[in-house]
Amino acid sequence: MIQLTNIHKSFGKTDVLKGIDLQVNKGDIISILGPSGSGKTTLLRCINFLEKANEGSIEIDDIALDVRHATKKEIVALRKKTAMVFQSYNLFQHKTVLQNITEGLVVVQKKNEKEANEIAKTMLAKIGLEHKADAFPSSLSGGQQQRVGIARALALNPEVILFDEPTSALDPELVGEVLDVIRKIAKEGITMIIVTHEMNFARDISNRVVFMDGGVVVEEGTPRQIFNNPKNDRTKQFLRRLVPEFTYEI
Amino acid sequence: MGGSFDPSLIFNSIPKLLPYLHITIEILALSVGIGLLLGILIAMPKLYHIPILKEIVTVYISFIRGTPILIQLFLVFYGLPVIIGQLGIDITRMDPFYFVIITYTLSNAASFAEIFRGAISSVDYGQTEAAYSVGFTPWQNFYRIVFPQAFRVAFPNIANTSISSLKDTSLAFSIGVMDMMGRGETLITATAHAVEIYISLAIIYYVVVLIFERGFKWIEHYLNRYLVKDELSM
Ligand SMILES: Nc1ncnc2c1ncn2[C@@H]1O[C@H](COP(=O)(O)OP(=O)(O)OP(=O)(O)O)[C@@H](O)[C@H]1O
Ligand SMILES: [Mg+2]
Repeated sequence: MIQLTNIHKSFGKTDVLKGIDLQVNKGDIISILGPSGSGKTTLLRCINFLEKANEGSIEIDDIALDVRHATKKEIVALRKKTAMVFQSYNLFQHKTVLQNITEGLVVVQKKNEKEANEIAKTMLAKIGLEHKADAFPSSLSGGQQQRVGIARALALNPEVILFDEPTSALDPELVGEVLDVIRKIAKEGITMIIVTHEMNFARDISNRVVFMDGGVVVEEGTPRQIFNNPKNDRTKQFLRRLVPEFTYEI
Repeated sequence: MGGSFDPSLIFNSIPKLLPYLHITIEILALSVGIGLLLGILIAMPKLYHIPILKEIVTVYISFIRGTPILIQLFLVFYGLPVIIGQLGIDITRMDPFYFVIITYTLSNAASFAEIFRGAISSVDYGQTEAAYSVGFTPWQNFYRIVFPQAFRVAFPNIANTSISSLKDTSLAFSIGVMDMMGRGETLITATAHAVEIYISLAIIYYVVVLIFERGFKWIEHYLNRYLVKDELSM
């Protein structure tokens, strides 16, 4: 289980997160929606301390941290519980596809090479890229790279996988293959938090949708509640702009 | 100088000079090897904005780049014994070979530091974030992710600097190191033929440089193995 409480983050004088509370249960698939600049990426990055929040507390599994007093050790421990899939993939360019996946298993989880290779091969089978095990990232398409990014995260067997717009850097014809992989692993009961602009995908895959605007959670609920019956005006406005055929029940 | 130009002397001198080539290679290997390690350390304060140290290395690098290597050599040769002498240790009788190593190491380290700094900052920060998100420590990220890629970027410049340094080692004889140049000078005195000997020296240096260039190209090719073709042409 994950519990974020009163997360505040500012860059200089701009308050980007103004007290976010979020509870995530095991197996939850949570989509975070919201207009550009609303703080979605920043929130994800605060969860694994790629960004250090100014205030608030983060609880994941048996770790509970007040962000202001988190030590380096605690931060590494927390990061071991989470994995992230980046918008720009961020694969290790000098490592093969297989090594991209084994790297964390060997270095962080101290698994031996054989065991790590086996896990990596299972992951590659899952994303349908067994034949690319020895390829370098630069020789892959964006969609393939992102699938490797997902396999790298999944292999770590984390408490939660954080996705930051995993398909928005992709050519439209490659979006489908990545979403399909995410759908597939969602069925395995892995906890996921997904920032996305793919509305249909968010509606299909998540059990909860969180709508953010201006650094606060404006509204959250089931996909049905948010997409068909939003309460808040800002949510309505956002959805109307993004989903032209959008009509909600009155 | 005496006598007319004697081409045979060129070829006869080469075997007499070659036994001293290992001195040149030793100076190069040590000063590049230690220089690389030192260079990485010297690059850190500027990369990670460490106060005070940053200013010190900036002055150091700018001084080394702004002064001729021959003067640096004399400064170390005459200056270092004075400084160390203050501590009550007499190094005036130390083999000049070591002063050469120290000078070339310090000089190479400054160049390598700048090369590494550029190369390390050229590695996409996203990969560092990915490493952190997996649970790497900063050190694990540095030696497993950032440095190997930075080294690839840095390598062609390291190779160039090393080749310049190889040629610069010919100055070592000016503080009394008996390397190929030193041996050449004695041959010139003995034969009274300067041009022929200098041609022999030029041939040897040139061939050695060509061999090094070949070797470096081969390493470069290996380091670039993970790039696709269009990235290489960039
Ligand atoms: N490192 C930073 N330094 C300064 N400002 C930042 C930084 N990162 C983000 N911001 C600002 O914080 C605000 C929220 O950014 P964030 O990237 O979290 O938004 P987002 O909801 O992910 O938007 P998008 O949908 O465009 O990705 C923006 O105004 C952005 O300019
Ligand atoms: Mg974003």
